[in-house]
Order: sequence, then structure tokens, then C-alpha cells
Amino acid sequence: MSDFDLDRLGDVWRQQPDPAEMERLQRTAIAVARRARISAILDVCAAIAVGAVVVFLVVANPQPKTLVLGSGAIVVLLVSNIRQRKLRKLALKDLTGTTEDMLDQSITRIETTLRHHKFTLWGLPLVLIGAFIFSAVVMPQRRAIFGGLSQIPWFRTTWLAVWIAALIGLGVFLVVAIRRGASELNRLRAMRDAYRQERDSSAP
Amino acid sequence: MVELQQSGTAPDPRGGDGAKGGVPPFERIVADYGPLISRIAMSYEADPTLREDLTQQIFLAIWQALPSYRGESALKTFIARIAQNRSISFVTKQVRQPKLAELPERLEADTPNPEEEAIELNEREMLMQATRRLPLPQREVIILVLEGFSYAEIAEMLEIAPNALALRLSRAKTALKSMLEQGYE
Repeated sequence: MSDFDLDRLGDVWRQQPDPAEMERLQRTAIAVARRARISAILDVCAAIAVGAVVVFLVVANPQPKTLVLGSGAIVVLLVSNIRQRKLRKLALKDLTGTTEDMLDQSITRIETTLRHHKFTLWGLPLVLIGAFIFSAVVMPQRRAIFGGLSQIPWFRTTWLAVWIAALIGLGVFLVVAIRRGASELNRLRAMRDAYRQERDSSAP
Repeated sequence: MVELQQSGTAPDPRGGDGAKGGVPPFERIVADYGPLISRIAMSYEADPTLREDLTQQIFLAIWQALPSYRGESALKTFIARIAQNRSISFVTKQVRQPKLAELPERLEADTPNPEEEAIELNEREMLMQATRRLPLPQREVIILVLEGFSYAEIAEMLEIAPNALALRLSRAKTALKSMLEQGYE
């Protein structure tokens, strides 16, 4: 290729995919859109269902405790919904903005996630202590909570084993997530540096 | 190609009931810009399985972003920007599976399979491979040029000055030329 003609290369580049490939693309896109629509509908349905259950429980058992718990559950639901909307807006901004902005925002997001993961990891022992204290306080009411279950042999051991397994699982998940996040962060920073270098060296 | 402008609040164009408010329905967008999306995905991901995953993510991103399209730029520009950004973020996430992402390219280089050799000789394939080897900032520019965007559109899309774009493009061209020449030797 002696003559480096971008127009000619552009013609080569823009070769149309064959009909089979086009059909596959169409199928993929339609399936993706269908899944996204179903997921959006399910999200709304789940929020309505949870809200309805909470309202039903409060109406069926109109006590101050239930009212407080019910209101709390609805607030949590609302906050999580608002947070999700905010995250979606941010993701949209990432998609439609410049690459450098997207890299900056991705870096900020991963840094925040990493901070949360580290905080949770270091907070695990505290949670454990809290759980033991809670368990000691609730101990007298255990029968009321578990009913006949506490009479089953090995129930206590199994219950403890499940808790320990869940905590170990969470710990492992956090360590792995922190390591993955750190490598992703390094890669993103390297890319952003490459962009900045390119921008600085192209500056007039 | 559909180059429609839209202003004001856009009705959701993702429904299947035709071109509401100037933005074509999602299915039409896929028919018009599917090849562009496919080529962008191909220039960022060599592994066919991962590329399929990336293509799905691009379609999903476009589907999610369409209601926010206000016609400030051409629809083609809007879609290309989303496809590029999603591809770049996909590539950064592949750090989690580096072996999977790199293996196919190595295999292609190592196996003297006649069929694969024939594919490698294909000019378009060589161009794709060379593009994938470019540093990201240069790759972004060269892909947009090859896709037929004007320099003004690219400068606007990347939010860089025209002379900075010219410099970046010149570097990209030099690197691409050198890689293609090596490929032909």
C-alpha cells in the first residue's frame, strides 16, 4: 500500500455486511430492545407490588410499630428508586459525552465503589460484633421468632454455619471486587493519561 | 441513511409505531446504522464472542439514550458517539478477562491455517486489525474518518480544536500506514 489514501480506505472500511450478518444484527437488536422493555415493566411492577404489600401489612395490622416499619420500607424503596434514576442519568451522560469526560466519570465512580467496598470490608468485624450483641439481646425472644424451628436438632449449628458462610462469602466477594476495581481503575487512569498527553501534545 | 433533526421534547422513539416526532423507530435505526455499529464494535473487540456481547451493549445503550436525543447533532453522530463510548468502557472492563480478550489475536498470528491466512490477507480485515492496535485517542479519530464523518463533525464530537484534530489524525495516519505496510510485507 504505497499511496495512503484515507478515502479509498474508507470505502474498504465501509463495506456493507452480508444479508445474513445484517439479519443477525437486526435479531440481536430486537431481542435487546425486547429484554430492555420487559425489564423496565418488571421494575415498575416490582415497585408497585412491594409498595402494595407494605400498605396491605400496615392496613391489616394498624399498630404504631407496623406503621413505622411500613413507612421506613416505602422510604427505602423511594430512595433506591431515586438513586437508580440518578445513576441512569449519569450513565446516559457518560454515553453521550466526550471520551475524556466519560473516563473521568468512570474513574470517579470506580473510586467511590472501591471506597464503599473497603469501608464494608473493614466494617465487617463491627457488623459481626453487632450481630452477636443483637443475637444476645434477642435470645429470650428467639422462640417467638423461630417458633418450632429452634427445637430441631442442629438448627443452631446450621443457622450459625449459614451466617459464617454468608459472611465469608461477602468478605471474599469484597476482596475480589476491590482487586478487580483497582486494576480497572489503573487501566482507566492510563487511558485518561494517554488522552491528556495526546491533547497536550496537540495543543497549538 | 436517515439524517433527521428533532427539536423540543422528543416522544419516545423506541416504540414500534413509526417515526414519531422525527426520530425513526429503533428497528429502522438498527437497519440504517447497524453496519456502523458493527464496524465500531469490530474495531474495538477482536474476539467474536466478546464482540457479540459488546454489540448487544451498544444496542441497549442506544435504546436507553434515544429518548434524550434532541437533534442537536445528526443522528448518525449521536449513535457513533454512543457506540464509541460504550466500546471504550467495554474495553476497560475487559481487564477482568485479559486472556479471553487477547487469545484470538494471538491464535490468528500463530496458526498457519490457510483459511485464516486468507482472511488475514483480506484488506478490510488487515485494516481492522491495524486500527485495533492504534492507541485509543488515535483509534477514535481514525474510525470516525473512515466512517465518513467530516473533520468539523469529528472535532465537534470529540470537543477538540480543528488543528489539534489535524495533528492527532496525522499521527494516527502515520501509525496506521506503518502497520499496514508491515502487514503487506
